[in-house]
Amino acid sequence: MKEYNIRRIGNFIYRDVILLRGTITTALSVVSVLLFIVILFSLRKDHVVVPGEFMSVFNKLYIISGVLFIFSVLKETNTKASNHLYLTLPVSSYERITAIWFTTGILYTIVFSFLCFLVGQFAISVGSIFSETNFHPLPIFSEDYWQLIKFYFFIQPIFLYGAIRFNKNRMGKTLLSLLLIVLGLIFFNMMLYGMLNYGYDVFSGEELASEAFGLASKDFSGIEKVLFVGVFMSTMLLATYFKIVEKEV
Amino acid sequence: MIQIDNIRFYYPNSKVILNNVSLHFTTGNIYGLFGKNGEGKSTLMKIMTGLLFPKAGYCRILNENTFKRSVKCLQDVFIVPEEFELPGVKISTYERVNSTFYPEFSKDQFYKLIKEFKLSIDQKISTLSFGQKKKVLIAFGIATNTRLLLMDEPTNGLDIPSKSQFRKIMASSVDQGKCIVISTHQVRDLHSLINHVVILDNSNVTFDQPLSTISEYLWFGKPNQDDRASIIYSETSYGGKAVLMRKDHDETEVDLELLFNAVISQPDQINAILKNMYHDERV
Repeated sequence: MKEYNIRRIGNFIYRDVILLRGTITTALSVVSVLLFIVILFSLRKDHVVVPGEFMSVFNKLYIISGVLFIFSVLKETNTKASNHLYLTLPVSSYERITAIWFTTGILYTIVFSFLCFLVGQFAISVGSIFSETNFHPLPIFSEDYWQLIKFYFFIQPIFLYGAIRFNKNRMGKTLLSLLLIVLGLIFFNMMLYGMLNYGYDVFSGEELASEAFGLASKDFSGIEKVLFVGVFMSTMLLATYFKIVEKEV
Repeated sequence: MIQIDNIRFYYPNSKVILNNVSLHFTTGNIYGLFGKNGEGKSTLMKIMTGLLFPKAGYCRILNENTFKRSVKCLQDVFIVPEEFELPGVKISTYERVNSTFYPEFSKDQFYKLIKEFKLSIDQKISTLSFGQKKKVLIAFGIATNTRLLLMDEPTNGLDIPSKSQFRKIMASSVDQGKCIVISTHQVRDLHSLINHVVILDNSNVTFDQPLSTISEYLWFGKPNQDDRASIIYSETSYGGKAVLMRKDHDETEVDLELLFNAVISQPDQINAILKNMYHDERV
């Protein structure tokens, strides 16, 4: 018996989407209305939507909705009344993690971006009818957009893990854990930096030392960054997989 | 079908719920799993479906360890839990999104059972009462046609006509390829439905006998003066009904409630009688 079947993964994604369609529709409607209003407001000033204006609202909506979506998709896992039927569904843990990652990552990003593009374009069209705005394409695919997508895919496994790991106050506990990890990393880096550069008196508060500190933070080669992100994401996904395997009711 | 060997289980910071439990369930039978509250009936069912992992021993369905929750294993088992929550979608939608995972699922059978339970496939599950939701899940469980069907307190939440309807449907659903295990503390609800009795008490299997053996060697009813010596257990509150060795009496219908009480109060005596009589007959 195959423990990894693409068709079953497809069916599992379909199941999740259908069972959550009410929640998804409501959330997307709220996002659409908010985005529409914000874009109309931004058109009032200079009759054009620049990438920065769009991204300033898109990034907040995208991250918040994404995190909420992750917790909604995994709600069945931790709800005492529904996890019996969820966990006994004939789907392997590999298939579950693939389906959940795909739904909350790729599928979510495509649908959300497409919807925001349509709403934004519609807002520009409305603006061009009722004001001096010239019809122009919404600048969605900027460099900031791709940075945001990368950031979301970096944090997504952390929230997947938190959504399965914690039984109660899942979102709060995940955010708290994330903050503690970030604080720990900052403290560790500071300590390492201070130890390695102790002889240079880097914490004296002098301008030169501050400049050196700033430069040191930038001295993080591309390969190391990719490795760090890659290793971190894979580790978190692996940890999520094992949490699914070990999950009891 | 399902082999349970020396299972030991306890929840964190809790007493041992199941201690060295060994059982063997075979196809073609409807098992009644009885026990007092908190004796581990639901826990055993959860272990059988891989929802809980035993601390020691193993549970296998067709030679697959249940705790692995492999697709092969899960395609052969369905559980109707005591407490559950179904999504707020139409019955037909629920069937459409979940049935694809069960290769032997019969849509016709499901719709027939839904009709039999006086429900409509266009009804939204969120508008149904708990008992009606249970009927949807029971119908779905039967229609999956898994070889092992587990039901934890299936009659809880069902009204009186629905309980007899449930018995009728269950009786017609069993075939030689299926094994059904029904756990309940309301033994009367399974009257004339089960053909094997398993009783859990003191974290262990106290009684595990087919109904045919029970009715062959035990007699249930109001005893005469001559029967006093062979009384195993009697209850004054039930008009003096008693369990006694059958010997020359005509075969009686097994009174599950009386049997349960007798086993709980005299487990060793009853087991010894059944074992000795069976042995003597063989010799």
